[in-house]
Amino acid sequence: MSTKYLTSLALMGSLIFSGCQKLTENPKATITALTYYNTAADLQAALSGVYEQYAYDGTWGFTNRMTTYFGADDLTTDPGLNKGPLREFDMLSGTSQNIGMDIYNTWKGIYQANNLLAVYQKADAPDSIKNIVAGQCYFLRAIGFYYLVRTYGPLPLVTKPVNPNSHPKRDSVAKIYDTIVADLQKAKSLLPNQWPPTEIGRATAWAARSLLADVYLTMAGWPLNQTSNYALAAAEADYVIKNGPFNLSTPYDKVFTTNNTPETVFALQFSVPKSLPQRSYGNSCVPLEEVAVNGNSGWDDYYPEINFYKKAPACFRTDATFYTTLKLRNNDGVTYTLVNWDDPRTRARHPYYKKFRAGLNGDGVSETATSIAYMNPSTNKALDIIRYPQVLLDYAEASTMATGNPSPDAYAAINQVRHRAGLGDLVSGLGGIAFRDSVVFERAYEFAGEFGMRWFDIVRLQLLPQVTADRANEPNQIPTSITSNPTILQQKYLAPIPFRDMNLEPGWTQNPGY
Amino acid sequence: MKLHILLLLFTLGLLRVYSQDQVIKGKVTDEEGRPLVGATVAIKNTNISTTTDVSGNFQISSGGQLKPILVVSYVGYANSELAARPGGAFTVSLRQDAKALNDVVVVGYGTQRKRDVTGSTATVRADEIAKRPLVRVEQALQGTTSGVVVQSNSGQPGKSLSVRIRGASSITGSNEPLYVIDGFIGGNTETLASLSMDDIESLEILKDASATAIYGSRGSNGVVLITTKSGKEGKTRIDINPWFSKAEIPKKLKLMNPYEFGLGVNLQTKQANPTQTPPFFDAQLNDLKTTKGTDWQDAVTQKPWIQNYQVSVSGGSSNVRYLFSFNHLDQPGLLINSWYKRSTLRANVDVKVNDRLDLKFNVYTLLPNSRNNDFAGDITDPFAQAYQWNPISPIRDASGKFILQSNLGSNATNPVAQLTNGLNDNSGTTVVGTGVLNYKILKGLTFTTNNTYQSTNSLQQELYGPQTAQGIVGADFAAATTNKYYNWQNSNFLTYTNRFGDHSLTVLALYEQQVDQNIMVKATSTNLSTYGNGYYNLGVGAAQKTTSGYYKDVLESYMGRVNYSFQDKYLLTASVRTDGSSHLTNKWSTFPSAAVGWLISKEKFMENVSWISSLKLRAGYGVAGNQAVGAYATIRKVDGQSSTPYGNAGYFYDGTTLSVATPLGQPTTTTLKWERDATTDAGIDASFLHGRITLSIDAYYKKITDLLYAQPNPGWNNGGTYQNNIGSMENKGIEFAIGGTPLSEGRLKWSTNLTLSFNRNKVLSLAGIDSVVEGNIGSAQNGEVILVVGQPLGNFYGYKYLGTWKTHEAAEAASFVKHYVPGDSKYFDRNGDHDYSTSDYMVIGNGTPKYSFGWINDFSYGNWNLSFMIQGTHGNQIFSGTIPYAFGGEGDARNPTIKDFLNSWSPEHETDIPAMHPSNAHAINSSRFVYDASYVKLKNLSISYRLPHGLLNRAMIRNLEVYVSGQNLVTMTHYPGYDPEVSNANYGAHPAMAQGLETGVVPNPRTYTLGLRAGF
Repeated sequence: MSTKYLTSLALMGSLIFSGCQKLTENPKATITALTYYNTAADLQAALSGVYEQYAYDGTWGFTNRMTTYFGADDLTTDPGLNKGPLREFDMLSGTSQNIGMDIYNTWKGIYQANNLLAVYQKADAPDSIKNIVAGQCYFLRAIGFYYLVRTYGPLPLVTKPVNPNSHPKRDSVAKIYDTIVADLQKAKSLLPNQWPPTEIGRATAWAARSLLADVYLTMAGWPLNQTSNYALAAAEADYVIKNGPFNLSTPYDKVFTTNNTPETVFALQFSVPKSLPQRSYGNSCVPLEEVAVNGNSGWDDYYPEINFYKKAPACFRTDATFYTTLKLRNNDGVTYTLVNWDDPRTRARHPYYKKFRAGLNGDGVSETATSIAYMNPSTNKALDIIRYPQVLLDYAEASTMATGNPSPDAYAAINQVRHRAGLGDLVSGLGGIAFRDSVVFERAYEFAGEFGMRWFDIVRLQLLPQVTADRANEPNQIPTSITSNPTILQQKYLAPIPFRDMNLEPGWTQNPGY
Repeated sequence: MKLHILLLLFTLGLLRVYSQDQVIKGKVTDEEGRPLVGATVAIKNTNISTTTDVSGNFQISSGGQLKPILVVSYVGYANSELAARPGGAFTVSLRQDAKALNDVVVVGYGTQRKRDVTGSTATVRADEIAKRPLVRVEQALQGTTSGVVVQSNSGQPGKSLSVRIRGASSITGSNEPLYVIDGFIGGNTETLASLSMDDIESLEILKDASATAIYGSRGSNGVVLITTKSGKEGKTRIDINPWFSKAEIPKKLKLMNPYEFGLGVNLQTKQANPTQTPPFFDAQLNDLKTTKGTDWQDAVTQKPWIQNYQVSVSGGSSNVRYLFSFNHLDQPGLLINSWYKRSTLRANVDVKVNDRLDLKFNVYTLLPNSRNNDFAGDITDPFAQAYQWNPISPIRDASGKFILQSNLGSNATNPVAQLTNGLNDNSGTTVVGTGVLNYKILKGLTFTTNNTYQSTNSLQQELYGPQTAQGIVGADFAAATTNKYYNWQNSNFLTYTNRFGDHSLTVLALYEQQVDQNIMVKATSTNLSTYGNGYYNLGVGAAQKTTSGYYKDVLESYMGRVNYSFQDKYLLTASVRTDGSSHLTNKWSTFPSAAVGWLISKEKFMENVSWISSLKLRAGYGVAGNQAVGAYATIRKVDGQSSTPYGNAGYFYDGTTLSVATPLGQPTTTTLKWERDATTDAGIDASFLHGRITLSIDAYYKKITDLLYAQPNPGWNNGGTYQNNIGSMENKGIEFAIGGTPLSEGRLKWSTNLTLSFNRNKVLSLAGIDSVVEGNIGSAQNGEVILVVGQPLGNFYGYKYLGTWKTHEAAEAASFVKHYVPGDSKYFDRNGDHDYSTSDYMVIGNGTPKYSFGWINDFSYGNWNLSFMIQGTHGNQIFSGTIPYAFGGEGDARNPTIKDFLNSWSPEHETDIPAMHPSNAHAINSSRFVYDASYVKLKNLSISYRLPHGLLNRAMIRNLEVYVSGQNLVTMTHYPGYDPEVSNANYGAHPAMAQGLETGVVPNPRTYTLGLRAGF
């Protein structure tokens, strides 16, 4: 073989090889953000990825979602045990190092929603699908920001995927509310009114409107104090009341043992067998000294403050809400001794919550009046985020504050809630402020222990001086240096930004007082 | 060939007949009188030269000179010049001189005379490798080269060793050097394992960035260039090198026998609660005195025979040379039911097509096969369980069934059962083909193309049935994983070499591309209805799960290099490499280097300094990279698969029906780049007294920037971590290599080589973060390593142990929040709050040696040779997980098994071993378990005898040598564990930080070897 021939062959060979290799990457076994989101199925799966972020233990799936709301009178915790994170806020002494602020992880849902909203338009899917996917994203992002802004105040208004090396500043509360309102306006126009039973957990236009009503009501209070929003809140709530499918036909106790009742406006869904448990019902609210026949005992995470319990109106709802007779297991391991909550044999000498015990049809605590068969820390109980009574009470308050006086419709709305609770009509002829205070009182007991409902009323109406003054001599004393100093007390309406993020964002300023 | 020379001589003779031309005859041999084949013999100041034949004989024309001077040279030997008398016959004996500055060394994309090298490099040659029964190439670097610290992380067979050239230079990425095998930049697990040590001609270690920058983004950890042997011209040679080793565990922990264990359990109970009745009554204790029980350290280990066979056939003519070799290694592990076996086949063929064209084909295959040789080094591994298990319990019950669990000692599974019933079997096929074409286009201009293709298919089969730890908890499974991998490299370069008067110049231009790709499929079957088919029938599982993976890397490179020298005294090397990588968003990165050298000994003023044979000063600066960024690291991923069959990916809109969820993964930065390592190096190479003493010293400063780290990601952007270039780190050090021949009298010769390396590492910045605590390295410890700005990598982190609280300190002990009592552990209460908490943690040690050394000695007397190697490190510590677990009360280890426990604190005998009081703060993260791990090992001792030539010639045997040797015969150390050399380095997400952590790693065996080297 001639050398020339061989050489040119070799040279040609290497030239053929060269240039055929591209430096672009194609990770064939991995789904990438660049190549995904092409079909309706892609969008739906990504959307489930938004919902699941909210349902996780670590976001809203566990009691710690409420850590920063323990300053309210409907929540307190054990003075010892591993309840440090909850106790800090119960004593209005939260710190940025608190490791229990799961609510900050709400950002994970916003992160997913931002991504999907940035890409959904490129999918090859019918507009109808795109719209309802986007609508749900807007709703989920809005509800995420709504919890965050009420908890932490100013935050970076991140509405699209961003580079981790970017360092956005904290935006004003007003700007964040503008986005929440805008998102909910879009959601309400894009979302359907109804879903088939297998998709009952999805957000509806009703959910968007109901949330919007609550957002407007909050905007009318502290810190924005934009009272013009009362009328907007009333209008949204009124629309839902007049046109929506919701009613209070479910007995109050069954609301907490049944999934997706006729009063559920929006709820998170869980599945214990598929590793997505709801973990604030069941063990979490059970006293430590209660031991089931199966050997499991309570976690003593949360229970109401004594005076909150004592001020509750006597009614069916109060009976269904509070757990006042503790069952102490005898040495035989099977029989129980029943003791009143203030009996010296109890550990906390506190009433507990009854409504959160059973979970879905008893998959949390399974008990009779005299014994506890078993208890689980994980239940399948859907977590109601918006219940219809909220819409009714939002309407009652907002319409009254918008005009200055309660209308018959406002009375009708609050009385609907009271009737189901086992109470009579509210005293008629109340002035605007007195009526508003009655609504706030009603909310406190209708939603006792439910995801910061009480705390956010305290915040928007600036009730801390009153609430701390009313507090009984609880084991977790709020230091008088806080209660006696209005400036310091005022700072407690916001929680501290977690230390980890303060550390990573040198440009941020911590909320005052932390 | 012979004919050609004769023809040439004949022709020359005809031409020179009138100039009194005469023929000089002679023979070239080595120091022992054995013929050297192919040695070059030239007449000085002429262009007449020849080579010796198979008997070492030559004939050469005197070139008409009256007093011709013969110059005889041979690779690996010092040149010899001698005056010849025309017409006479000579025997020239060449002295072997591995350190000769005239040696040609491989420098990457070519070769260079050793004396022209400007970078910091070191060489290990075949004869050095042959002194020890080695099975892996990394072992050959241990103790033989300065600046290189080699530690075998585990004594399991078939495992790679950790090699650190001038310290660790990456927290996240690999710290192993780049291995280049005959030009193939592909030193991966398979290609390294496919190298039979007998096939290696030389190892060239490039240490500083001025030498490694030619490998650009892969050069920062240093480069090891591996050259395999080629056939030599002459008649066919057959070499047979078998060896057999007996291996044993080098040391056993002093554990309790059944009786002592009974006493220990009673003591533990008494310490925990003085009023409680001890579990063993006196009568039972008495029975234990005669109970045989089980020595679990013996039960899980064996003393295997390791066998290694090598057969090679080589030879060649003037235009074709060949070497074929076969190697088979059968290496059972120290653990029962564990082994590594491999067979390799190699064919190296060199073809000289014509004066211009050379071809080279190297083809080799690897067929590995292993079982249970892949324990990561964890406290739950069977080896670690052995020292935690109840010594009273037999291995099997009366019916022969394994006793899987015990109510005392470790709560985990019987380690013998686990090793016997659990299978992790790996097998595979690797085929590598390298083809090199060398074409001389013009005088001085050569084109080379080097193409290599590697194909590896591997299969992993796992079986953990009901009688294993996995089975006990209902997670018994069988699984099969296949990987299909290829790696392809194409290097093309032009080399131009010329000399213009005093100027000598070599210019190289390179274009190179490399692709590697892997496809993985794994099938896991859980709760099989029958285990009768082993791992061969995955269809019978109650749950099935299939996963798959894929990656592809592409690297494209351009490189230019200039070597310039003036008067052979002033040397300059400069290079620039640009690498384009598929991993990065900004694809291209550039790595420059420059180095200068000055051969002082060539200067006029040195001519009269006869005791200095050569002296060279070197200085260089270069930048190399570390490819720490993984494939697809800059692409945002969507999480599409859950990690378990019932993983929690998904949402349930009605509380029951699964809707698959594909959430977006962590954010990524598109600005990721390679870690960059800029090294400044200054060195000196010298030899004295005609090369009898050689000395090489290098000092360096290496700064690594753009360190890659999993940086905490703010909560507002999804939390967790993301890959980012943060911070910087430095390594500085000095290294010495001293060689000499103190004695060379007649048949007696002593040569010695000492290497000594000092390296200091320091973290310079971490993107504004002061310190990072790294955890989860093995299940024994947590948060045990801390990275602090201003301190070295891999500091151990925990309490400082001050012994036990003594009786006279009772009041002070009681003043602590947890009310300690005498006999409890006493730690340094750093913040003075009378409470032991993580805020009292401090730096309590470091796993990186302050210096390491190797000392090789070779004595030969006639046909006898004795050599030994001493190797050691100093100033490093081990944070042991083994000792605390042997003391019990941790994890699965319920009761103490170590004898020392019987010597624990008591009011009468106040020792510093704490009593197991309920109040005792028993922390593993404590300096109590940090030990000085400095060691000196007699790494190798070998005696060989070569049968005399005369005897062999009659039997048609070229060479026959018999040797006995021992490895790891003596270890001097204060470390109380098994082996100070092993640690969990290479474990976890940030392996560089795990150096010195030890959680039950299998020690290196002590071995005794008998071997034979025969050549025909």
